[in-house]
Amino acid sequence: MSDTTVDPNDCIIFDNVSKFYGDVLGINRVTLTLEPGITGLVGPNGSGKSTLMNLTAGLLRPTEGDIRILGLAPRDSHLLFDKVGYCTQYDSFPGSMTGHDFIYSYLRIHGYGHQQADALTWQALERVSLKEAARRKVGGFSKGMRQRVRLAQAISHDPQVLVLDEPLNGLDPMARAEVIAIFQDLAQEGRHVIISSHILHEVDMISDQVVLLSGGYVVAEGDISGVRSETMDEHPIQVLIRCDAPSKLASKLFENDFVLEATLHEDRRGLMVRTREPDRFYPLLNDAVAQQGIDIETVRIADGDVRAVYKYLITSEGEAQ
Amino acid sequence: MTTATLDHSTFDWALARRQIQGILRLELRACLLGRRAFVTYFLAFGPVALMTMFAMFSDAAEFEGIATGMEIFAAFFHGYVRTSIFLGTLILFMSLFRSEVLRKSLHYYLLTPVRREVLVAGKFFAALIASIVVFSIATVALYILAFMPWGVGEVSRHLFQGPGLGDLLSYVGIAALASTGYGAVFLLAGVMLRNPVVAAVIIWSWEAANFILPVLLKKISVIFYLEALYPVPLPTEVFAVIADPISPFLAIFGLLVFTVAVLAVAAFQVKRMEVNYGDD
Repeated sequence: MSDTTVDPNDCIIFDNVSKFYGDVLGINRVTLTLEPGITGLVGPNGSGKSTLMNLTAGLLRPTEGDIRILGLAPRDSHLLFDKVGYCTQYDSFPGSMTGHDFIYSYLRIHGYGHQQADALTWQALERVSLKEAARRKVGGFSKGMRQRVRLAQAISHDPQVLVLDEPLNGLDPMARAEVIAIFQDLAQEGRHVIISSHILHEVDMISDQVVLLSGGYVVAEGDISGVRSETMDEHPIQVLIRCDAPSKLASKLFENDFVLEATLHEDRRGLMVRTREPDRFYPLLNDAVAQQGIDIETVRIADGDVRAVYKYLITSEGEAQ
Repeated sequence: MTTATLDHSTFDWALARRQIQGILRLELRACLLGRRAFVTYFLAFGPVALMTMFAMFSDAAEFEGIATGMEIFAAFFHGYVRTSIFLGTLILFMSLFRSEVLRKSLHYYLLTPVRREVLVAGKFFAALIASIVVFSIATVALYILAFMPWGVGEVSRHLFQGPGLGDLLSYVGIAALASTGYGAVFLLAGVMLRNPVVAAVIIWSWEAANFILPVLLKKISVIFYLEALYPVPLPTEVFAVIADPISPFLAIFGLLVFTVAVLAVAAFQVKRMEVNYGDD
């Protein structure tokens, strides 16, 4: 994520950025380089997610430091918002507006003429599967439909950077899958998709990279497995194995010093192993299973997801999640 | 697939015009049909209702002649400017930014590549058009109703053979310029102040006290320029500090310069405006 060979005109760069609201801290000394792809912002309320997103979208100005969005300064809003789309949590439409008019009016303010605005509006509505409801008033939309129409608005002008505040809230499972597919398509097209969500497993599932925030500070950033490796010394990885002979497997694994702990499950059908060296552990596991003729049902990392990583990072800093 | 192909890198008048049209589409609807519009209609047409009663129940014989009616109307219209147009523009223009901040909807505009000064201009023009339309119609109605006690024939002669039509156009012009000047002041107040009541009281007091202000301070007000445009001289108030009269051209020019200066400050403020709706 902080590869110096990348083109700064293709990245979102925060250079020692702080934002204070009077005496209240928003974010402090944040230095980040975000490359195209899906970036998940993770943290509880008050951690600085919204401040970071509003700074990215140019709605806030930093108190200190410098921000560059694809080489542009956020103060040049007339240039920036041609490249940035922001899907907020908040409705910004009068209830009497139709879904079509909501997006069409937004595009007219961009400066598009009638025909182009109309075409872009239908294109955006189609992308979020809302064409049929286009002529209905947004005041009568369900929460999920409102979420989708906001998303359609954010993508309607074909931005390079998409900032999405809790974009999956209120969506049913099918709509959720559709929307996630849209994010993935946009990321594959080389765009930035920045997502905040309280639902950590969703962020984990769709993000190429994560930024973990706590109390206004970035506590970790990068792809989740990389961040997990950084916490390995203090928090060895836990591997869950379900098999038919856990005791035999445990004794075999314990012959190696990089296996720190093995705990048998109460039902005697599995075990939890802790190790700081997963690269050496997995070949060992393969050998042990083959030699002992053990029947394996499942092998998976129990604490490799963003939820566990966040918990470890915040706990180690003495803060409660 | 339609793609975005707008160039925002240089100031483009054609683009700015299209963006202002886009803003007008939304804002005119809000100014003429939104909740705030109904209060403006009440302020504009409430006095018309009173004037209708005056027209119905007054007898021209009570007055010396139509010339007296012209003086009475000038004084009445002065009060109309200072109350109805003042409060009507307050509601229309102060809501342009303040109500959007309260409704958490300002980002609808701020997330578009529209220059903030263009946004200020678009919103101002929308409220100005609405204000001019409403108060001009009300002014015409007031003027005609005010002379109705003399009878339709006398009103017609006054309008088309006497000074009536010219005077009426002057009053409509005063209503339009009052909307322009007060509109700019209230737009700025809505951008800078959280509490419109405080702003309204301060500005109203300043305007009301204009007649006793020193000549230099008189010029930093809207009413000073408007008074120079009245086709019929206004009665001089007790304790008034008399300033040299200015020509209508200078009055209009001065008011427009004042408006542009106030809007420039508003645009500067809007350029620095931040929006934060988050939980942080």
